[in-house]
Amino acid sequence: MIRYLRIVRTFMAAELKNEMAYRLNLALGIFEMLLVVGTSLGAVLVLFTHTSSLNGWTLPQMIALTGVYYLIQGGVNIVFSPSFEKLMEHVRMGTLDFTLLKPANAQVLLSTRHFAMVRIADLFIGAGVVAAGLYMLSASVTPWSLVSFAVTLACGVMLVYALLLTLVTLSFWFVRIDNIMAIFWAFTDAGRFPIDLYPGWLRFTLATVVPIGIAVTVPSEAISGRMAPETFVGMLAGTALAVGFASWFWRIGLRNYTGASA
Amino acid sequence: MTLVRTYRALLLAGFQQAAQYRVQSLLWMLFSIVRPVIFLAAWVAVAVAQGGDIGGYRVGDFAAYYVCMTFVSQLVMAWNSHEFEWEVNQGRLSAKLLRPLHPLHYSVVDNVIFKLNTLPVLVIILIAISLSFGARYRTEPWHVLAFIPSVILAAALLFMFNWVIASLAFWATRMRTANTLFQRAAFVFAGQIAPIGLMPGWLQALSFALPFWYMMGAPTEILRGAVTPEQTWLILGGQAAWLAVTYVAFLSIWKRGLRAYQAVGA
Repeated sequence: MIRYLRIVRTFMAAELKNEMAYRLNLALGIFEMLLVVGTSLGAVLVLFTHTSSLNGWTLPQMIALTGVYYLIQGGVNIVFSPSFEKLMEHVRMGTLDFTLLKPANAQVLLSTRHFAMVRIADLFIGAGVVAAGLYMLSASVTPWSLVSFAVTLACGVMLVYALLLTLVTLSFWFVRIDNIMAIFWAFTDAGRFPIDLYPGWLRFTLATVVPIGIAVTVPSEAISGRMAPETFVGMLAGTALAVGFASWFWRIGLRNYTGASA
Repeated sequence: MTLVRTYRALLLAGFQQAAQYRVQSLLWMLFSIVRPVIFLAAWVAVAVAQGGDIGGYRVGDFAAYYVCMTFVSQLVMAWNSHEFEWEVNQGRLSAKLLRPLHPLHYSVVDNVIFKLNTLPVLVIILIAISLSFGARYRTEPWHVLAFIPSVILAAALLFMFNWVIASLAFWATRMRTANTLFQRAAFVFAGQIAPIGLMPGWLQALSFALPFWYMMGAPTEILRGAVTPEQTWLILGGQAAWLAVTYVAFLSIWKRGLRAYQAVGA
């Protein structure tokens, strides 16, 4: 375990050095994120000029949810999406073999190899928005709501990770899977509203096949103190199940992998 | 005449090429569908919370608006600026520039083919959404007639605007920021968040003044039959004016950019 943490830290440091070479890039990345988050909050405010509650969610709760939406995305985009993007390229180019030969767990190595350190700013911006929502909510933040928030947020990121890992594993058979990944990116947008807002078929999709809806809604419920205890347990069990399935599927895929030119 | 022949050849080749990627284009269609559907769901929730009516909009009106919005956003979609950035960064642009035909024409063909290929499935999906939300259209025959030039103008405007952004790649190799700016402006002003009638007053005024609403919101309002003949003329006029401005801007930026361009890796 310690060994893997050290490996991840090394990857992180290498990427940070790499990115510090492009400082303007860094600044522009943060500027873009502020723009995206700001306009999304604007959309929520426009909705709330016509109502005081969105299917039971108040304005402060919706602002917190918007923050969570960007926290989840940030969590995924810092490490998993850049790493998986490279992984798909490795499969295509046949360079994956080099990583597989290394004396460590390939799933860990390949899931954490690449970091987009700029995206750490997203986490700060997302956390700031959540804090603003909480401030407006002026609800007493109990230790339980904080803990359950942190836990369900981590679960949310891992749920999305499980989905991405499953999708990327398909590349062992199909090589070109950018299109399958596009399904996930297309549905990501749906995370900006609580899942209970959507019609049945979409709610089902966002809770199972593309779990972005669950990943965003449950932590938001936790932090605004409206989460049922069953939901918490369900979230933990569901995440364990999803990650378990994804790494089982990954191992099957790996066994099937024959190398691009072998 | 030569241009017509060229286009016929390019379209033919393009259709054959696209036949290999039919599933792919259907997947990309999801990008036009998901956002309108989620905002539709949000407005339905608002309408229900307010007793079914917000400023004259009922659930059926929101459904009609967002179904038309989906249809329009698919028809006006353009993605040249993303593609162009990639081509410049990969050093592929130089080869394209050497061809006798302006790169613009290739992307017109790609664009048209993608839309024609996805249209039948999109229409089926939209009919399903219309039925499940009980969309209420107030469209009269003349609205449909006016929609045709309006959506063509909108597509041309969005396409040319995209090319203006794309031409910036001659100077800067990182275009993401310009693209994000454009997308977020479209998000706020084009009518994706709400029908323009429900936006706060100052945002409405800005939307009417800026080009973005004319790319999506305007044809949407015409198609769902929410405008009078006088308003329709104003909309078409605004679209034509913005298209002219954008086209002139593109010509001058492209000319200057081509002179400033130093191929990556050259």
